[in-house]
This record gives sequence, C-alpha cells and structure tokens, in this order.
Amino acid sequence: MASVSLKDIHKSFGRTEVIKGVDLEIADGDFVVLVGPSGCGKSTLLRMIAGLEDVTAGEVFIGGRQVTEVAPGDRNVSMVFQSYALYPHMSVYENLAFALRMARMKQAEIDRRVRDAARILHIEEFLDRKPAKLSGGQRQRVALGRAIVRDVEVLLFDEPLSNLDAALRVEMRLELMNLHERMKRTMIYVTHDQVEAMTLADKIVVLEAGLVRQVGSPTELYEHPANTFVAGFIGSPRMNFMKAEVVEASASRVRVQSADIGTAELPIDGAGLQAGTEVTIGIRPEDVDLGGEGGIRIEATVEFIEYLGRETSLEGRMKGGHSITALIEGKFSADRGAAVSLSFQPQSCHLFDTRGNACRRLLSPAGGSPVAVGR
Amino acid sequence: MRHRRSRRARREALFAWLLGAPVILWLGATLVYPLVASMIYSVENIRIIGSPGAFVGLSNYVAILTDPDFWMAFLRSLIWVVGNSVAQVFLAFISALILAQAFPGVRIARIWIILTWIVPTIVIVIVWRWLLSTSGGMINPLLMELGIIDSPIGFFSTSVSAMATLVLINSWRWFPFIAVMLLAGIQRIPGDLYEAATVDGVSGFQQFRHITMPLLQPTIFVLTIIGTLLSFNVFDIVWLLTGGGPADATTTLPILIYRTAFKGYRLSEAAAMSVVATVVLMGFALLAVRTLAPSREDK
Amino acid sequence: MRRGIVGNLLLAGGLGFIAVIVLLPFWWVISSSIKQTSEIISITPTMVPHSFTLAHFDKLLRSSDFPRFLANSLIVAAGAMAITVVLAALAGYAFFRLKFPGQGLLYRLILVGYAFPGIVVLVPLYGMMSAAHLIDSLLALIIIDVTFALPFAIWMMRAFLVAVPSEVEEAARLDGASHMTVLTRIIVPMIAPGLASVAIFAFVSSWTEYLFASVLIQSDAHKTLPVGLAGIIGQYQVDWGLMLAGATLTTVPVVILFAFIGRYFVTGLTTGAVK
Repeated sequence: MASVSLKDIHKSFGRTEVIKGVDLEIADGDFVVLVGPSGCGKSTLLRMIAGLEDVTAGEVFIGGRQVTEVAPGDRNVSMVFQSYALYPHMSVYENLAFALRMARMKQAEIDRRVRDAARILHIEEFLDRKPAKLSGGQRQRVALGRAIVRDVEVLLFDEPLSNLDAALRVEMRLELMNLHERMKRTMIYVTHDQVEAMTLADKIVVLEAGLVRQVGSPTELYEHPANTFVAGFIGSPRMNFMKAEVVEASASRVRVQSADIGTAELPIDGAGLQAGTEVTIGIRPEDVDLGGEGGIRIEATVEFIEYLGRETSLEGRMKGGHSITALIEGKFSADRGAAVSLSFQPQSCHLFDTRGNACRRLLSPAGGSPVAVGR
Repeated sequence: MRHRRSRRARREALFAWLLGAPVILWLGATLVYPLVASMIYSVENIRIIGSPGAFVGLSNYVAILTDPDFWMAFLRSLIWVVGNSVAQVFLAFISALILAQAFPGVRIARIWIILTWIVPTIVIVIVWRWLLSTSGGMINPLLMELGIIDSPIGFFSTSVSAMATLVLINSWRWFPFIAVMLLAGIQRIPGDLYEAATVDGVSGFQQFRHITMPLLQPTIFVLTIIGTLLSFNVFDIVWLLTGGGPADATTTLPILIYRTAFKGYRLSEAAAMSVVATVVLMGFALLAVRTLAPSREDK
Repeated sequence: MRRGIVGNLLLAGGLGFIAVIVLLPFWWVISSSIKQTSEIISITPTMVPHSFTLAHFDKLLRSSDFPRFLANSLIVAAGAMAITVVLAALAGYAFFRLKFPGQGLLYRLILVGYAFPGIVVLVPLYGMMSAAHLIDSLLALIIIDVTFALPFAIWMMRAFLVAVPSEVEEAARLDGASHMTVLTRIIVPMIAPGLASVAIFAFVSSWTEYLFASVLIQSDAHKTLPVGLAGIIGQYQVDWGLMLAGATLTTVPVVILFAFIGRYFVTGLTTGAVK
C-alpha cells in the first residue's frame, strides 16, 4: 500500500510561513501532480514528503505509516531532482547501484536490477560512463533509473524536465507515462508547467501561496475550476475574465449584464447570488469563435493577431474597453483596429462570485461539478 | 512543535561535533593552552625554561612597555609589515594582470610562479646570501657590469639597506602566493562585462579603471589583511639572514622575543612581549575577520 | 580585446621579467652547484657553468648528515600532511555542510588562529613537549606542523565543500546513506582537488619550518633539513659549493611533488580565495 497522506501541514522558514495548512490524500498508484506558480510551496511540500525538510506542524503518512520524524533514507521513497543530482565521480552503473549497495543487497541482485532499469530507460550502453560524458537527456534517464531500481513505495519528481529542451521534454513525458503504466507505483510530480500537469496527471493539486486551491482530475480542473486562480492557471492561453453585474439569479440560470456583452443568460446555478452584485464571467479563448449565430455576440476591434500555424490567436478590445482573447482555427488575418465579430456559447461560460469562487455550471459538456479542497 | 525538529537535528549536530572535535581538541591543546600558559609566564619572573618563578603581577609588562628596545622592535615590525604588504601587493598585482592574459606560456607560468613560495626558507636564505654577497655573488658583479654601480654594495651592511633587502627578499618569496589568489579574483570577473564595455567603445584603460579595479577591491583587501598577518610573524628569514643586525637594525618583534627568551634568559619578559604582540594581532585579525566573514553570508 | 603589437610586446616583456626574477636565482644556484669552487667565487659570474664537478654533492651526501636530515624532513612533512588532510576534511565537513549551534563562531575562531605568532606558544609548547617526553622527537614536530597548517587548511577546504550541490547529498541520504557514508563515499571524492591542495600546503609548510624544529630537536640524528642545513652552513662558513648543493637538493623534493600535483594546489588556492 503506497498511499500518501498529509494532515494539516504547516511549514515556516524562520518567520515566514510558506505552507499554511495543507491536507492531501493520495491513493496508491496515483500519478499526482503538484502545480502552481513559483513560490507556491509545491517543492517544499514534496521535500517534506521526502523528509528533506522538517514539518513545522502536521503529520506525514506514507503507506499508512507515520513518517513525520523518520529520516529520508528510511521512508522508502525515491526522488528525481531538477538538477538530476547524479554522483559525478561514479559511473552510471555505480550511480544506479548506490542505493542498493546502501541496502546491502547482494551483488547479483544489484546487477539484475541495474541492468533491468537500464534496459527500460535505454541507457545500457552508458553504464560505464561518468555523468559528465552524458547529454542532458541521458542524465535525466540515469536520474530516473536511480529512482526506479529501488522497490520504493512512492516516487517523487521535482521539476525533472525543466532543464530539457522542448522536444526532449515531450519525449520524456511519454516515457514517464509509460513508466507509470508499467510500474503502477504512486508518483508525485512537481511542476510549474500546467501543460505537463494536464498531460501526466491522474490528479492535479493546484497550489497558491502555501494553500491548496483545488484537487481534481485534469478534466475536472478544466471544466469546473473552483475559483478564478485555478481557472486562470489551467489552460493556455489563459481564460478570459470579464466583470459583469447580476441582473437576476436563480438555481437554474443567471442573467448578467455588462458593457462588453450587453445582457446574457447563463445556465449556471446562481442560488445565493444577489442582484446587483459584481461577478466574473470566464470564457476560454478556445471557446470564442469568429462571427457565428446564436450565443453571445461581441463586437471588438482587433488589437493583436498571432498566427500559430494550426490556429490564430486574436486579441481584441471590446465595447466596454476590456480585452478578449480568441483562439481561431486556421489562419485569420486582419488589420489592427479592424472591427471583428466574436461569439461564444452561454454553456461554455464559467461564473465566479465576488470572492472568486465558482458557481456550479449546469450544462457543461463533461457534466459533473467542481470539487474544491482547501481553506 | 519545536521538539520535533530537534531529534534529527540533534543527531546531525552530534555528528558534526564528533567530526569537528579532533580539530578543536588539537588546536585547543596546542594553541589555546600554550597561549594561556604564556600569559601565566608573563606575570611571573621566570628566567630560564623549566625553572619555576614567582608571581610578579604586571611588572614584566611595565618593564617592556617602558623599554625603548621593545618599542623600536615594534616599530621595525610595523615598517616590516607595511614594506612587505606594499611590495608584495604591488608585485602580485602586476603579475596577476599579466598572468590573466591569454598568451603562450602563461598557463605554465600560472603554476610555477609559486616556486619561490614552495621552496624552504633555508634555501631562500642560501640563495640570496650567496647572490648578494660581496665576494663571489651574482648580483654585485651583474650590477657593476651593467654600469649601475662602481663597487660592490654591502646589502646587509647598513641598517636601511639591510631592512630594505630583507623586505625585498621576503616579498620575492611571497608575492607569487598573493598573485595567484589575485589572479583568481581577476578571472572571476565575467568576461561579458568587458565585452559589453568594448561594444560601448570603452577603452582598455577605462575598462581597467571602472571594471577591474572596483571588482577586485574586496580581493585585494582580503589579501592585504592575510599578507599583513603572515608578515608580522616572520622569524626565520630575518634570523638566518641578518640575525637581527646589523646592530639591531632588523630586529623585529619576533626576533627580539626570541633573543630575550633564549639568549637573554628573560623568559617571562619574552612571554609578556609575545602576549602583547598576540593581542595586537588578534585585534587586527578579529577586525579583519568581521569584515571578511560577516555572519549572514556564510553558508 | 585585440592587443596591438605594442601590447603584445609589453606582455611578453612582462611575462619574461616575471620569469626571470622567479627562475633566475634558482638557475644560478643550481647551475653553480656543479661548478668548481674557484668558478663559484670568481669575480666575474658565469651564467652557464664553465666547469663541472660533483664534488660538492659528494661532500654533502657523504661527509655530512644531509641524507639523515632529508629523511627526517620527509617523515615529518609526510606525517603532517596526512594528519592535516584528514582533520581538515572532517572539520570542514562539520563546519560547512552540517548544521550545529555555534558553527559560525567556531569557524571564525579558528580563522583567528591564523594570527598567532609562533613565538608566543614556543616556550609553553616546549614545556609541554618536555613533560610528555617528546623533546627531540619527530612526533613533536609533526604535531606542531599540523597545528600551524590547520587554520589555513580549513579555510581552503571551505570553498570546495561549499561547491558540492546539496542535492547530491540529499540524493545520497534518500538512497539510505548515513552521514558518515555520505562524507566518505560522496563528499570526499568530490572534493579531491581540495584535499590535494591542502596536502601540498601542509607538506610545504612543514618542509620549510625552522623555528620549532630548531628549538625542539637537539640531537643531530633527528634534525630536519632546514635546521641541519643551517648548521652545516654555520660550520663551513664560506663553503659556497656545499651550501649551493644543499640548497639544490632541498628544493628537489618539493619541486617533484609540485610537478605532479602543483596544478591542484594552485587551483585549490584560487578556489579557496572565493570569498
């Protein structure tokens, strides 16, 4: 059983509190990604699971065992560091074998495991080389290999792909997914890249300033972000946010109005929203189309166009003076200042109350509702 | 909540103390304890090593602090230190600048320049005593041949020339050590800075003045402090070349202390002198260390 | 930056000048040690020997205690080197990679030990060695030499130790290595150049040490090179040839050592100067 459980974790460095109360449950075999902007505390959290940082308050459980006071070497976890942290004076073979030697495994067994891992990761031909003679991608694999040779319950990854170029990163993502498929071990992965999070994770934990803002599957986070932070963090280009005023609200629909969009009716559970209060509408650029019939129509003037090959990103200024970004399929060109018609469907909209919390969407394509965790 | 952190941290602290203990004990026994013993001697009236003495309070200190010989020696030590620092830093600086350039042979030079420092003092003494001798050495004939002088100079015969010669010899010995470290400081300045300046049209000399010098200042400062501490304590080269002469002209404080203890049989007085010297040096060193190793920056 | 012809000439001149002032004196000494005495003391000095004789070396090695002094120095220097390296590595790791209360203070205190004039502790140490019956023993010298090498050695180790990425240490601890194992199997190999530098420093410092060697050693049988050589010179006041031969042979071991690991020492010194 390789579950991980964090209970009311607090962490302070000196007077600064960086983790302000985190509860997390990670099931055996999950691939969980901790994601968030720089400084949100995701690496710190990971290191506390590893035992490399002490917790200021709270408890850590691995596999049901209380490990808060246990030394890192005794927690039965392994970690892949951002800088790989390979032992520079040892060959690749020795790097992989080191932990096994520490565990006093028999040489035959060590040899078998090292070669197995090397085979899985395609680094057999480098076993005799020292890390200095390997490329970045190869070193990455050795770091991975070091993590998998042991029979650990949990594998931890601290932004392992950050130092690779784009093409390698895509390749390694695939490798990691295969690894997870194959080994079925619990993996906890830290990254600031939400694309990585979306592609790799079974479950994503979004962190901001030491607090968990939402936990859910990629779909849940995409379709039902629990607050404006998560909505703006997940998805690229960033979701459009528009302020609007509630005209009337009920449990089955909300009517809003703003200078940018006029009046619109959204299929959103607005129970609890007072008329006249300010809300935020969220609409993803990929849900904004050119022209179109029906739905909510927007007249905008072109500010900026970026042709990306498969699609075109258009930034326009709406009547009310605010910007809107649209992602249009194919190629679209227009002069700056040209008038353009955009539209989006009400059911594609998100709505957030004055405090930034999401209201439940009723007709979203994937169904379901937001699952929010955190304080 | 706090005690949680302590358990593992305590084990680490214990391990650290275990590792550091040998050094601490070693230095405690061979440095701290003798220093304390010296301080005890200095308030007694011991004349010869091994013989007991009675407590005499601060009379030794009074004696030396009113003794012109002591102050002369102290003064000579100051001259010695300043002379060495200036000469060494000057030579080291020029050498470091030269060694910092890319040039055939410079790589070997960077390693072997330190030759004068790794060679034992006794060899230095032999080398220069012979080279500077008035009968048979190399320097005098060379200078005469070059027409610089008419008759051989007695390098060690007058007080000024003896001190100057010693300072130069000691500087010759130590400047490569300083040069090598200065070179490291120069090499640590990012090349980008110079490239950016060149693109901006800044001349070589200006680059030196506005990039090299300011960035090198801390290193120069550190090295001057270190050089000062090391110079003050130099004993062997002075003793072996001039024995403190001629007529006490090169009797720096270490020489005086040695003579007082071993030739003058006034051990306690010598101890008092060395305590005073230590206090001065420690004060200087503490000041320097506080500037060089401020609390926040370590680790 | 491109140097003109003038720049290059100046540079060459400067480099040449440095080479001359460092190497020429040694060349003179070494080349003269094989000259006949008459040539050595002649009024007109010669750059290249005109005569050749090994008589000085012969006299040095056969009729004086020089070989004995050489052996003593080697023993003392090697001993001091070994002990200093071990102690400095251990203490360095403790001060710079582990956490314990008071480490900053302790480190600074040790740095201050730098400032001690040897003279201060000369007499008390003599007394201590006397009480321990270590007078006239090489062990006493080894102990003293380690003492004087340690502060600078620890300072030198700092830069090397601080340069080890903490992630490598963390990886090792995650792999189950104890603190000691991390030190011996991870840290030590990674700071090998630093250890080499400290080794050379300790060896050279010990090789050249005169003051304590002259006071603590009394019998000819145990004298080290600097003291022994000084004695020989005193004895044969104006035997230049003997002196020059002695100087030449005393230089040889350190030069050999340096030829092999000099590179590391210079690197160590320069890295150690990172502050």
